[in-house]
Amino acid sequence: MNMKTISEVKRASEPELLALPDVVSVGIGLDEKENQVIVVGLAKENERTLALIPHNLGNYPVIVKITGTSRAQ
Amino acid sequence: MKAISLTASFQSLKKGVLMDTVISSIIPLLGSVRESLMSRKNVVATGIGYKTASGKKTGELSIICSVERKEPVSRLTSSDLLPKTVDGISTDVVATGRIRAFQPPTGRFRPAPGGVSIGHFEITAGTLGCLVHRNGELFILSNNHVLANSNDASVGDAILQPGPYDGGLNPADKIAELAEFVPITYSGSSSSCPVANSIADVCNFLASVTGSDTRLQAVHVQGADNLVDAALARPINPADLQNDIHGFGSIADTAEGTLGMAVKKSGRTTGLTTGEIQQIDVTVNVSYGAGRVARFHDQLIAGAMSQGGDSGSAVLDNSNHLVGLLFAGSDETTVINRIQNVFSLLGVTL
Repeated sequence: MNMKTISEVKRASEPELLALPDVVSVGIGLDEKENQVIVVGLAKENERTLALIPHNLGNYPVIVKITGTSRAQ
Repeated sequence: MKAISLTASFQSLKKGVLMDTVISSIIPLLGSVRESLMSRKNVVATGIGYKTASGKKTGELSIICSVERKEPVSRLTSSDLLPKTVDGISTDVVATGRIRAFQPPTGRFRPAPGGVSIGHFEITAGTLGCLVHRNGELFILSNNHVLANSNDASVGDAILQPGPYDGGLNPADKIAELAEFVPITYSGSSSSCPVANSIADVCNFLASVTGSDTRLQAVHVQGADNLVDAALARPINPADLQNDIHGFGSIADTAEGTLGMAVKKSGRTTGLTTGEIQQIDVTVNVSYGAGRVARFHDQLIAGAMSQGGDSGSAVLDNSNHLVGLLFAGSDETTVINRIQNVFSLLGVTL
């Protein structure tokens, strides 16, 4: 069985995720149980975008965080 | 229950009175030997505190001698050796480094360490990251948007310390010249694709011959390859720079930023702050103002630990290993270039 790594799954999925309105980032983080998850960052609450983000990609959970827009500082 | 509480309070009071008595006896003793202790090599401060043994604080009050650095006994003359006790009171030697008067990072520093205000003469201000080397030559490392005005600067332009917003003037405060920068590709910026530009040229020619005043322009729909927001400046005089990070001391080495790693930075606006790496391998869109957005790959994200003006700060782990170059953030996040990408693209080392 050739299971893709979380980085491979993230990279394959991020063009579609980043094309969704208000999605500003896609990365790899940890959940409360220290399991690796795909983290999707949103500039602001967007119900329609939230409904389009899957709960899992490959075998990896996806969590959404409202991060705001990142600006050069 | 109440009786136990009263007993505990009494014991605590008794212990406090005892400690006050010991301190009261050490103060005049320290006063009588202070000049002698302060005159010895490397001693920068004397005071009263708990003695540390094997890295752990003990309950024993002692005379603490702070030294700029610890040196082997063999390198000290007998007159510079600190006594182990003074009238039965133990001494302790603690290395604190040189103690300097506090100066905010927005001020003028000569020599200038990492963590202080700097900027291209046409920007507001950012942060001097750290010093790096290439082929034996010394350079200042910070962001493109700090040293190279977000691609709009020319090699040789004046770099001021402090930055213009903090009162830096050209040429009085010129500390370096722009040496090199990694260009940032913005979403929506002009495309360098010859095919797309040729198609646009043909369409624009047809538009002009038909009398239309509408034109096409080939643009990047996303910045495909941004890894870093980084630039180098060549110091006018290397002696104007200090190979330290303001408030943190020297950089030990580089390290890979990992999930959950505790990190810290010293920056022009928010000074010394700490955070934790919350995400790795991040692809993120970053706003550069005036409608310009750039997409960056392979970034680190930490919690909020910076504000405008902190860009360019070196991000260190708790052992002073350099893990990244801070360049962007939101109310919730701080976005950091991996230092491995920065060093690789600029061909530099510590």
